Amino acid sequence: MKLCFVTVGATASFHKLLEQVLSSEFLEILAKRHYTHLLIQYGKDGQQIFQNFIDSGQPHHGLTLGGFDFQPSIDAQMMMTVEREVVHQERGLIICHAGSGTVLAGLRLGVPLIVVPNPDLADNHQQELADELEEGNYVISSSVKDLGSAISRAETQKSEVLSIRTGTTTLAESMSDELSFLD
Amino acid sequence: MSASSLSFWDLLLWCVVLAITLGTIILLVLLISLTISQNTIPSKCRPRGSPIHLLVVLGSGGHTAEMLYMLERMKFDPQIYTYRTYLVSSGDNFSADKAKEFEAQHVQNSQGHVHSNNYTIVTVPRARRVHQSYLTAPFSTLQCFWACLNVLRGLHPDQKLPKEYSSLYPDLILTNGPATALCVVAGAKLIRFFLYLAKYTVLCLGLQKTSTFASAPKLRAIYIESWARVSSLSTSGVLLLPLADRFLVQWPAQAGRRAWWGMKRTQYAGWLVI
Repeated sequence: MKLCFVTVGATASFHKLLEQVLSSEFLEILAKRHYTHLLIQYGKDGQQIFQNFIDSGQPHHGLTLGGFDFQPSIDAQMMMTVEREVVHQERGLIICHAGSGTVLAGLRLGVPLIVVPNPDLADNHQQELADELEEGNYVISSSVKDLGSAISRAETQKSEVLSIRTGTTTLAESMSDELSFLD
Repeated sequence: MSASSLSFWDLLLWCVVLAITLGTIILLVLLISLTISQNTIPSKCRPRGSPIHLLVVLGSGGHTAEMLYMLERMKFDPQIYTYRTYLVSSGDNFSADKAKEFEAQHVQNSQGHVHSNNYTIVTVPRARRVHQSYLTAPFSTLQCFWACLNVLRGLHPDQKLPKEYSSLYPDLILTNGPATALCVVAGAKLIRFFLYLAKYTVLCLGLQKTSTFASAPKLRAIYIESWARVSSLSTSGVLLLPLADRFLVQWPAQAGRRAWWGMKRTQYAGWLVI
């Protein structure tokens, strides 16, 4: 199994991303790269778009499609993109909005991540985060319409252990300092 | 006729002058005490191994997840932070459940046995509910502030701090926003201001000797800016910049900021959430 997991987040709807992912062209790109499954967390008002695509009878190019609206935790779904030979699970891909919770979870797993900032959100510090993470080679940042080419970039991204950024202090040190222990 | 109208305008003028003077004095006292407070380094007088009461403010969904992940990643040591109070907003069952889960998985395990009397979860009213009118928001914020003051003074009905703790005030406050955090940290500063005044009044009157007051610092607050904030501070960050005793940021571009001249700068702590 090789899974592409798409998540749009629970708070704001992101129909543009859903429509892009649920297209015959996009599925073809996934099929060419040997993906076998596409799982979509489409959010509370995205079910119609998902259902419309299933009903439209457009070719799926051999991919198995699945979708759900919301779950308290999507850790299990994200885990299915991690390479595990025992269960014939290949290294997959996560496509997500630039919400920090999902991005962090993806980074912790070390799977390829394509981050698509939602342009409809008013306070768009998501874009800044996505740009900064791409600069550090942590993720691929993409707009909705460039998603196809982002996949080939994500595939070539090396699987390496995340280099953790360290600062001039740590939380444990800061807490201990504030308590003013005797030396 | 002209004399009486003149005296009315005179009165108004004096009132305005008085109001401006009072306002300026209050503002100056506020600015100066905040500056003094941030620049005062407490003397090292806490013996290692003494019991520590930590107050963790759990904001909501993403804030709570980040906070608990940071504690997990720093290899939180319950032998140091012997008593934990988790503060959650009313209706936020997610945060309360996550705190219980964190205690069960990471704190209680490392001790080898389960203790339920070394932590507590307290609930305060929300500062502003989603979609609440801005007209009523100041009142609910005051209500939240009052509840936070009670938690800080150990007067919340759910708080049962064991006897070995010398004071009901928490030693350290850990927060990453949003609104409730402001109430907690502002409340802590207010209490410290009054404790400071009381201490100096007693000293000046010569009622007690200085040595009586050589106690370890209380109610120190650390604020951690969200990992999602790359180049600009969040609203709670901006407001807490002059109030927090230590301000940690997770991106280099955010380091070195300060509220105004002479204030403490933000410190780059690297990524605390991965």
